[in-house]
Amino acid sequence: MSMTTKSLETTAGDVRDRARRPARGRRSSGRKLRRAGWLMVMPAVAHTIVWIAIPVVATFVLSFTDYEVFSAPSFIGLDNYVELWNDDIFRKATWNTVVYTFFTVPFSMAVAVVVAVFLNQKIRFRAAFRATFFLPQVTATVAIAMVWLWMYNPQYGLINAVLSFFGLPSQAWLDDPDLALWSVILVGIWQGIGMKMLIYLAALQNIDPNLYEAASLDGASSVRQFFSITLPMLKPATFFVFVVSIIGAFQVFDQVYVLTDGGPANATTMMTYEVYRAAFQDFRMGLACAQSVVLFAFLLVLTVINRRLTGGDDQ
Amino acid sequence: MRIWRHRPGSAMLAAVAALSLFTAACGSDDSEASGGAGGEGEVSGEITLLTPIYEGTDGEKLLEEELLPKFYEQYPDVSVSVDYTTYGTLNEKLTTAVASGLVPDVMMMGVGWIEGFADKGVLRELSEFGITGESLKESYTEQIVQAGMYDGGVYAVPIMLDTRFAVARKDILAEAGFDKPPSSWEELREYAIALTERDADGTLTRAGFDMLSHDLRQMFEVFLFSSGASLFNDDVTEPTFNSPEAVEALQFMTDLINEHKVEDVGFSSTDAQVHPLINGRAAMGLAHNNLWLQVQESAPELADQLVPFLINGEQPGMFFGGTLATVSANSEHPEAAAALLEFLSSPEAALAANEQRGNVPALTELLDSEYVRQNKMVQFAMENLEHAQNEGGPPQWLEIRGEFTPAIEAALLGEKTPQQALDDLAATAQEAMDR
Repeated sequence: MSMTTKSLETTAGDVRDRARRPARGRRSSGRKLRRAGWLMVMPAVAHTIVWIAIPVVATFVLSFTDYEVFSAPSFIGLDNYVELWNDDIFRKATWNTVVYTFFTVPFSMAVAVVVAVFLNQKIRFRAAFRATFFLPQVTATVAIAMVWLWMYNPQYGLINAVLSFFGLPSQAWLDDPDLALWSVILVGIWQGIGMKMLIYLAALQNIDPNLYEAASLDGASSVRQFFSITLPMLKPATFFVFVVSIIGAFQVFDQVYVLTDGGPANATTMMTYEVYRAAFQDFRMGLACAQSVVLFAFLLVLTVINRRLTGGDDQ
Repeated sequence: MRIWRHRPGSAMLAAVAALSLFTAACGSDDSEASGGAGGEGEVSGEITLLTPIYEGTDGEKLLEEELLPKFYEQYPDVSVSVDYTTYGTLNEKLTTAVASGLVPDVMMMGVGWIEGFADKGVLRELSEFGITGESLKESYTEQIVQAGMYDGGVYAVPIMLDTRFAVARKDILAEAGFDKPPSSWEELREYAIALTERDADGTLTRAGFDMLSHDLRQMFEVFLFSSGASLFNDDVTEPTFNSPEAVEALQFMTDLINEHKVEDVGFSSTDAQVHPLINGRAAMGLAHNNLWLQVQESAPELADQLVPFLINGEQPGMFFGGTLATVSANSEHPEAAAALLEFLSSPEAALAANEQRGNVPALTELLDSEYVRQNKMVQFAMENLEHAQNEGGPPQWLEIRGEFTPAIEAALLGEKTPQQALDDLAATAQEAMDR
């Protein structure tokens, strides 16, 4: 009896052990996977914490302080924000940034779509064309701005030479406050086309050719196909390009720094340029942080609005 | 950042050290004469130098191949890491250096910068090295010494000056029947109007007096100094650059452009590759003393045609800025830093640096140097240094000065009257000074 019972118990224990072993193995394997997962994302998490999260938090905190680099920050509440609210130049910079964004983003996106559609066709020298359009994107903005500086030169610049050829008067493109901002905007549009074109080009190649074939069979013209197939199918790419472009446009700095230095008479100063001036010319880091927070708020609101308008939450 | 380190062999090191000690004992070494940075044998350490001069290949070559080796002959136990920058990015360098706690041991900065950095405790007062206002006045003119002082203490030693004054083209003046440059504002206006040329459709071909190739703040300051006005009151508590005299100065400039049309907005700019006086696009204009270098390089035949002159209003107006050497308050090797400062401001090193940039030596004794005698612009500047005035004053000057150009542009472009532009500017400055 006892032998039988023991034998049965042993048998039952073996069965339980056998049943447990795979489960424990699965749990162990899951833990290993999770650990490996954490290890894999750790560099990205560390990067995000060190280079993004901490600076963002520090920026928010410092925006409530009087911090002039040379001495420890002192808490001043909302004083920096009140100063910005009453600062005519920062208001002008904000307005200039909005105008710059309003014109550079849609214009460069429109041109980029058209160029991308064109370069998605089977045309000769397609690769060369693609590289040419993308070139401004990979060229240093300062170098580009120097070239435009020459083109805008009132005396020996290319643009005035062309105007002169047609008997039109020369213009002080960067020295006339009525023209300077538009001159900067034109550079922004031109420079922004390359990257947008590349994204659209990638998106275009994901559109099912059968859609166009079916539309053709139904007698849809190329224009109709563009508006009824291409543009709707590019909606996710458009959302991405739009958000990234707005962020990029609000961060415009290099061409202003090189082309106009914010002038004449602050006609081309931008929010980022004012941040730079406050931080590195005036040594007012607290104020510069408050300006950065305002810039961040603008971008956040615009991104949310854009997401709502384009139905981005469906994607 | 270029790093230049001195790593002599031990035998060579001993020889150089012995030689330098012998030289120091026998010669009249400047550092000891002025209290010095201690005995040369005692000075050691690795120090950093932040400099906006010695730029470009030629500048680096001068510093690294000619000057620093001589410094190491005197101080073999010191090594210097050089961080080159430009005045355009010096602010960023200094800000980030202070924020990170890695302030260079020796920093070169401009006139007008000293007050702000000294006020914030970034700079070391130099009297501990025997450098006092009185000792410096033996070698420099009073106002140049003052440019390196703050609150009664000496924080910087001048190396070179950048001066601004007017220059006329003698040949163009002669064509119009003028045999000498204008000697008053009225004559300046008269000459400028007469010398301005436009083509048949009214396009400006030659400016009577060029103001736009130059930094507008400094341009205005020349006229302001000439009007008898000053930037701040005597105790530097209030801006005075909106005084009636200063407003008159800006009105004069504005009228030259908007009423008398002696130059059109956009005709020239600070980005101009060739100064309009050199290519004949201007008959007169404000110039920097290094115009001489430009002429020698691009059109030496014009050298005799350039005539420097002072703009005379209530008094002669001339601007001087410059580069001064300072020592960090937190330097771990202050003696070595002070030794480098003294070396770089010594006659030989300062002369070489000035020659490289076409600048005006700050040391009075260099007036007789061959370089000065052969450079008409530098010679003129040095001979008239008594009339030169500098910008700066309050510790907030670096913040205030950035507001000048937009204000002057607003007046020149007719967006504001000179009075409005300067009143607004003064209000901004006062706010910064009161903060």
